[in-house]
Parts: sequence; C-alpha cells; structure tokens
Amino acid sequence: MAILYKLIPHLLSWLGILLVLLRGFPVRRTVVTVTGISGFLLGVAGALLLFRAFQGATPFWIIKSSLGVGFLCLWGVSVATVYCSTGRGAMLLWGERFATGSLSAGAVTGITAIVAGAVSACKIPGADGNALAYMALVLSACALTGLAPLLEKLLPASFKVSPSGMLATLVALLLFSSSSILRLDLFSPLSMKVMKGIHDFVHQFMESILIPDHLFVRPVVWKYIGFLFGKEVGFWGGIVIWFTPAILIALAIHFERLPSVAHIRQGAQRRRLLAAAIRERRYRLFIPALALLIFAAAAYQSSFPSVEYWDPKPLPVTATPSGEIIIPKRGEVDLEDGKLHKYIFKQGEREARFFVLMNPAGELTVDLDACAICKPDGYGQAEGTVICYYCKTLIPLETVGKPGGCNPVPVPFAERGEGVVIDSMTLINSWGATVKATVRAKEGAK
Amino acid sequence: MLFRILKNSFLKRPKAVFLVFLSIAMGAAVATAFLGIAGEVSHKMALELRSYGANILLEPSAAQGGGFLREEDLPKIKTVFWKYNITGFTPYLFGIAEFSAGGRKERGVVSGTWFAKQLEVPGEDISTQGIKGIAPWWEVKGRWPEDADEAIVGAALAKRLNVVPGSDVKSAVRGRIQQFRIVGVVTTGGYEEEQLFAPLVTVQSLLQRQGKVSRVLVSALTVPMDDFGKKDPATMTRDEYEKWYCTAYVTSVAKNVEEVMGGSRAKPIWQIASAEGALLKKLNSVMLLLTVLALGASATAVSTSLMASMAERSPEIALMKAVGADRYQIGTIFIGETLFISLAGGVIGFLIGDQLSELISRTVFNSTIASPLWLFPTAIISAFIVAIAGSVAPLRRALLIEPVRVLKG
Amino acid sequence: MSSAIIETNGLTRSYGDICALKPLDLLVPEGEWLSVMGHSGSGKSTLMNLVGGLDRPTSGTLRVGGEELLALNEDGLARFRREFVGIIFQQHHLVPYLTAVENVMMAQYFHSVPDEAEARHALERVGLGHRLKNRPGELSGGEQQRVCIARAIINSPKLLLGDEPTGNLDNKSTVMVMELLKELRAEERFTVIMVTHNQEVAAWGDRTIHLDDGVLVREDRLKVEGKAG
Repeated sequence: MAILYKLIPHLLSWLGILLVLLRGFPVRRTVVTVTGISGFLLGVAGALLLFRAFQGATPFWIIKSSLGVGFLCLWGVSVATVYCSTGRGAMLLWGERFATGSLSAGAVTGITAIVAGAVSACKIPGADGNALAYMALVLSACALTGLAPLLEKLLPASFKVSPSGMLATLVALLLFSSSSILRLDLFSPLSMKVMKGIHDFVHQFMESILIPDHLFVRPVVWKYIGFLFGKEVGFWGGIVIWFTPAILIALAIHFERLPSVAHIRQGAQRRRLLAAAIRERRYRLFIPALALLIFAAAAYQSSFPSVEYWDPKPLPVTATPSGEIIIPKRGEVDLEDGKLHKYIFKQGEREARFFVLMNPAGELTVDLDACAICKPDGYGQAEGTVICYYCKTLIPLETVGKPGGCNPVPVPFAERGEGVVIDSMTLINSWGATVKATVRAKEGAK
Repeated sequence: MLFRILKNSFLKRPKAVFLVFLSIAMGAAVATAFLGIAGEVSHKMALELRSYGANILLEPSAAQGGGFLREEDLPKIKTVFWKYNITGFTPYLFGIAEFSAGGRKERGVVSGTWFAKQLEVPGEDISTQGIKGIAPWWEVKGRWPEDADEAIVGAALAKRLNVVPGSDVKSAVRGRIQQFRIVGVVTTGGYEEEQLFAPLVTVQSLLQRQGKVSRVLVSALTVPMDDFGKKDPATMTRDEYEKWYCTAYVTSVAKNVEEVMGGSRAKPIWQIASAEGALLKKLNSVMLLLTVLALGASATAVSTSLMASMAERSPEIALMKAVGADRYQIGTIFIGETLFISLAGGVIGFLIGDQLSELISRTVFNSTIASPLWLFPTAIISAFIVAIAGSVAPLRRALLIEPVRVLKG
Repeated sequence: MSSAIIETNGLTRSYGDICALKPLDLLVPEGEWLSVMGHSGSGKSTLMNLVGGLDRPTSGTLRVGGEELLALNEDGLARFRREFVGIIFQQHHLVPYLTAVENVMMAQYFHSVPDEAEARHALERVGLGHRLKNRPGELSGGEQQRVCIARAIINSPKLLLGDEPTGNLDNKSTVMVMELLKELRAEERFTVIMVTHNQEVAAWGDRTIHLDDGVLVREDRLKVEGKAG
C-alpha cells in the first residue's frame, strides 16, 4: 500500500478538480461526474498504452506537452478575461453559456480528467506487472468521484466559481499533481528555458551593441547585465510566467465593473445592491487566490523535490547477435545529461539491471544497479549523489564508476561512435556473481 | 470608510494609541533581539556541525607515538573501504609560539596545516585536501597562503597583534625563529580565531616535529545516526551486521579510518560538540523563555491600555451597535485598529531590536552578528501575536456592551 | 390604513424584580406617527428599545415589519436595526472624532457601502450643507440633532424612533426639528414612534398613548394640526 501513499497528492488533486468542476458547472453535475470518471479511466488506460507503444521518454513527453498546452491555454484565457473585463456584456453572456452548457462541461471535464488520469498513472513504476497499483489508483479515483458530489454539497453556497477562475484552478491542480513527478515537472524546465532565453538574448543583442568600454556603459549597467546572466534570473522569470495567468484572472475579477445601479432612486436600495455585488465579487476572488496558492505549492514542490529521487523505470534492452548491447548516446534518452539512466537486460531466465551515468567529470560510466555488499535494491539519484536504497548511504557522483564500499559495481564498456557498447555476457555474469554473493548471504541468515 | 474611522480615531486619541504602540514595539524589539541572538547562535552551531558533517577527529591514542600521528599515514585515508564517502581531511600540528609584529609581542598558537594540497595516492585519482575543502565557512579577508612562509591569522589574534594582510609576523619557539608573511585574516566564529595558520612543512621545522601531526580532521558523507546505528555490533544477527557494516554511519567510517592511521583514536566530532551544544541549547531555551515572558508582558500591557480606552469608548461602541453594526463589523474595526498599530510597532520594534541584539552580542558574546532576513517577519508576527493576544479581552468586552445601558440618558 | 407595522402581544420586559413593561398589546399601522407619553420610569423608553431591536422582551410576542424579533440572534437584530430602523436619541449621540458627513457615512458603512455624495445630500436636506466637515463638538445642539436625523434616515428606514429627540433643545430648535421630521416623513413615508413628555411635541403625532408604570393607561387619537406655520 506504499503506492497509495505515493499517490496521495494525485488523488487529492483529483478530488480538488472534481469539486471545482462541480461548482463551476452547477447545472451539469451528472455530466461532470460521468465524464470525469470515464475521462480519468481513459487517461490511465491511455498512459498505459503509451508506455506499451513507445519506449523511453516519449510517453512522458506527450503528457508533459499536454500539460504545457494546458498552461498556455490558461495564459490565453487569462488575457482574454482581462480584455473582456474592460468591456462587458459579451463576456458575461459567454460565461453564462459556458457555465450552463453541457458541451462545455463535458469537454472541460473530459480533457482535465484524461490528463489527470495520465499524470497519476505516470507515478506508478513499471508498465507491466503493476496491475495491483493500477487497480488501487482506479478504485480510489472512483471512490473519490463518488464522494465529490457529497463533499461539494457541504461547501458554503456563497463559494462561487467563475469560468476563468475554474480553469485557473484546474490547470493549477494538474500542475500540482505533475510537479511531484520529475519527468512531468514544468516549473524547473520553464525557469531553465527562461534563463537560456535571456542569456541568448543578452549574447546576441546586448553584447554587439554594448561594447565593454563604451562611454555610456557604467559599471552599474554591467552589474545589471551581470544579473541577467545569474541563476536567479531564470527562477524569477519562471515565477513571473508561472503566476501571471492566475494573477491576471484575479485582477480581472477584482476590477470587474459592478452592475449599474444609477437608475435606482433610493440610496439605501442602491447601496444594498452595490454591497451585494462587491461581496459576490469578493467570493469569486477566492478561487483564483486558491489557484495562486496551488501554483505556489507546485513551484515549491518542483524546486525542492525532497522525498523524490530520480529513479527512472528501467528500459529493456536487447543484445545484438554478437552479444553486444548498444545504447545510443543521443536518442530518446540523452545519456550525457548527467542523470541516471536505468536499463534492464534479459537473457532467458537471467536478467541484469544496470545504469549509465555521466559523472561530473564528464566521463560516462556503466554500473550494475547493485553494489558488492548490499541486497540489490538499486540506486536513485539525489543532489550530487546517488543513494543506495538498501543502506541509504549517499555516494558522491564523482566516485560512481569506481569499485569499493557501497558504490555500484562498475561494468566494463566501450564508447564506439555515437554509442555505448557493453558485452552482454560480462554484464550477466557480473550481475549474477554480485547478486549471488549478496542475496545468498541474506538468505543464509534467515 | 474603515480607514477613515481608523485614521480619525488615531488622530483623536494619540496618547492611548501611543501607549499601545509602545507596548507592542517593546515586545517586538525584545523578541527580535532575543530570537536574533538565539537564532544566530544555533545557526553558527548548525553551520559548524554541518560543515564538520558528522565528522571525525583523529587524535593520537595516549599509549603510542609520543602524542603524534605520522604524516606519511595520511594518504592511506583515501584507500579505506569508505574512501568514496570521505570528502576531505586536513592534518594539524599545534605549538605555542611567541609572536611579534610591529613591536607588539603576543603569545599564541601556531598551527601547521594543509590549505589546498594536491594529494597523490597510488591507484587513486589526484585529490585536493586541506582546510579550503573541509571548512568552507571560513571567511578569509585577503587570500589563502601559497608559499611556505605565508600564513593566515585568526581575526582575534590579528587584532591583538595589530596585523593586516601584508604585515610580517615573527614567531619564536624555543629560540627558533620563523618569519611569516600574513596574506589573510580569517573569521571562523570559533577558537581558530586565536591561531596563526601556516603550511604544515614550515611549522614542522619550526617546532622540530618533522613528519608529525597532532590531529586530523576528516569530513565524511555519512548516514544520520539512528537507533540501529547505535546498536552494539557484537549483539547483531548476521543480517543486521551485514547492513550495519555496509551503512556509512559515522561510527563505522571512524572505525575504518582509525584502522589505517597508526596509533590513532577516531572520535566522531559530535561527541565533542555535544557538551558545547548542550550549553548552547540551554542558553537558547533561556532566551526563548525570556522572549515568551517579554511577549506576555507586552501583551498584558496592550490588554490593559486597550481595556482602559475601552471604558472611555464604550458610548461610541454602543452607538455603532445602535446604528446597526453587528459583531463582525465591531470586531473588524477594533482588530483593524490594533493590527495597524502592531504593524507600525513591529517595524519600529524590529529596528530597535536589531540594534539591541547587536549591542548585546557585542557586549556579552563579543561577536558580531549578521541579522538574518527571517527576523523581520518574526518581528512583525510577534507584534501581531502580542496585539491579538492583548486585544482578546478588550474585544470581548466591546462585544458584550449593551447599547441600551450605555446610551441611556 | 394599510397593515400593521408593529404588533405586540402581551409584551413584557422586567429587570430582575422590577417590571418595566407590564403585558402590553399594541398595534401600530404603517405610516402612523405615534407619540408615547409618560413620566420617567413609566416604561416608554423600554418600549422604544424593544421595538427598535436594542433590547429583548422578557415574554410576549413582538412583530415589527413582519419580523419576529424574538427569533433573531444578536447579529440578526443588528441587521434588523440597520435595515429597518432609524433612531434619534435625546443626547444626539455622534462619534466625536468623525465629521458630520462621516457620522452619516458610518451608518451607510454598517448598512452596505458608504456613499459620500449621498451622505452630503442627506445633510443638505436637513439644512447642514455648510457644516459638512465640522465635528460634533463644533455644532450646536440643534445642528447635532439634525445630523442625527440625517443619519437616521440615510438607510431609508421603515420605522423612525425618537427617544425624546427634543429633550435638550430650546423651543426654537424643537420646532425646527419637528418641522423637519414632518417634511421628511411626507417624503419618505416612514412610521414614527416618538417618546416624549412634552405635550406639545406629542401633539405633532396622529395618536398618543400614555404609559404609567409599564401599563397603557390612556390613548388619544388627536387629529390636531400641529403648530404649523
């Protein structure tokens, strides 16, 4: 049931998504519930199919891209909301139709649910053989879907959801859900992209224009240009891009025009209407504020992925007839990105797990996913180290590839052309010898 | 409207408002000062403990070698079972010397060490060992020594000798004299500030202790000590022993290192730090207690002065109620009022407290502190806490006012 | 006459052993100007506080504007007061640190949202257009009472209560205040209940009830034209 524990953030997000949808489409509760659960199941199944159909990082790329598209859509919606809030009428009408239409309810619910399901499925390691975990995920999602309408009734009636606020919260919840999965995380790549973009910009434009000893460029200016090259610029730029849509939506609601009351002669009556409108507007601000909080939580989780180790699913590899395992350096997987890449090799009854990792010195290493002394529980990658799951010892990345201690057992390999070549017999024998020693010691003690 | 009510109420009753403001500012100032000092103390401690890591001190065991370790054993540290978990180590050789610079004479500790030495061990990669790697929190004004006759000097000793980077210091030990060129002044926040650090070889010849070191500090990546790690290996089952053996507890790494250094005894440093840490912990809890007491006292003061002004303002509150204010609206006005005062009080209190903490740490602890960023929110929050705690009783009383009784007449 | 705005049945209020109001049955039709007379301690202020939602009866029923006041909690009573009732006190109670216009705006604030233009207009209607920014201390008794009236009518109450509103005023100011109330009533059509012990003031009303020791002793339906002109 450890897997259920790992799924908690995703299930919570799912519950939040359902609650927001139910409130956002108050007259389409059945549509939301039915589409929701079927979409979620579809998402899980789709993710499974993707894992089957494609090797490597492709499925993650697809799901991550759909999250990215969702975020871009939110940007569009937020800008449109701001634009519409300056005029009026059309937006109100559109919002009205959006909130009551069964088509819009179905579409929004369906898409959100599919993505939510796919994201949750990514959390479960291994495409096959984890039927139990998938069952647990699906069952708890179903249970939550049944629970959501009951919970929604308990929420105070004044808790209103505007269409744009709803979209913001949905995207925020999806991103929160995905932020705990390293490969689906959007915030960190976003800040990296921002940093790179700004660097390129500075390089291409600034440096050609601003010659270092130019008369007008004082040291102060160089300090600012220096800041553009700093690590912070990516983070803060990422933060700005990350939070702007929700802030825009909140601002749009905050500056929404109040209904015209000038025609009401009696002052008290007029003010009462005004106060009610202001109160109602304030309630609607709650949802974008909540979305902002969730966005912040997602960014935090992405910046400080505390519990998580980078631990990809082992990709199956096969040997050539001559008994060589060839892994291209650049393909679906970039071997030289400094991350742990796990593979599994099967030969008849025997199998061996190993990983390829580029150490900070820039050398590729190939090692068994086991050390010479511990049970072969494998390794995960943390900041600057790999961790042995069995004895929790941290091993500096610099020393990965060297034998001894609890270090992973190195495997001889050759770099030929654009690939890494490993002899399959050596690998299998090395795994066999290592594991036999450690497992037998273990079982002998029992 | 709320702001207009608050503004006018402040302007009309400056004395009462000032009293509340003063109590809150005092509370926030005391909280800032004490928490600042306590935080700084534990921060320094944590920094040291973390930088030493769960580190290891190698000392000569009393029985052998006349109280010294052999320098030639040092490279063996890089060959032990847990070699990859050892991120660095530094040898030290200590001696008492007479320092003289610019006519001043002072007695002090001369310490020979490695700063950043390229270490070659057969069969291993070349690594850089020394203080630079093992004590990254040392702040050097100037630069690290590079030549045999260059040295850095601790901030306290530098003050006594009145030397700056570029000065020359003569050190004399039992008639032998060595001239050092000071290239840096180091601030560590510890006893090292009373020492002069020079390359190991130079100090060895000055002290006539060729090839000897007094102690070695080893920095290792270790697994935090848990109950399992404290178990006696002798009582373990085979399975447990295997796990203990392959887990990088500080004790197992220490044992490992001890075996290769002849005549040494390895102690995890937390054993040394624990006595000091216990004292600091006590000091910190006293600080915390004082803070809570100070906050309580100022909350009481706030409560009293608010109570007094409440008696004066009860007609006003009764009137608001008669006009139709419900409890939330009355509460908003009064809480808003105290929060406003407490925001101002918090800011002022922070400024005062910051100065206060610097004064205290200078006079009492004789060290400077850099006020950390988190102190500001702490000051504001403690001001809020004081304000809220102090206005509970007055607010209750305000809510219980019956307009009929007060407005009679 | 239209339906009753106030309807009491066996309304009683006692403070400990002292019975301030003996069981009282009273019916006030909407739009009426009712004067309540009696000596001090006769229970007339108690009646007014009960009707205005400032106090709760010990027993009996009290329906004001279709609302059973006994069923309301404290916040409900506050809502009732701000939406339904305007009160004018004898000691023109104003917040001392707020200007005239701000005192009126305060009532708007508690009711819904403040509207300065409307508050200013209300003060102009009671003839204080030139004293908007003055604080109560700088106003005469009559002027203060007129600020109170502006405040009382700002939220368009259905019911205006006056607790000896002219008790502290000289004759000239009294007449001015009563004239003003009459004018406003003609425009806004609220019901007036005015407690007084001044026969002349009571005479401005449509009907006068006399209380003595918490008991209704006499009822005059006078259709005497007041001291108009």
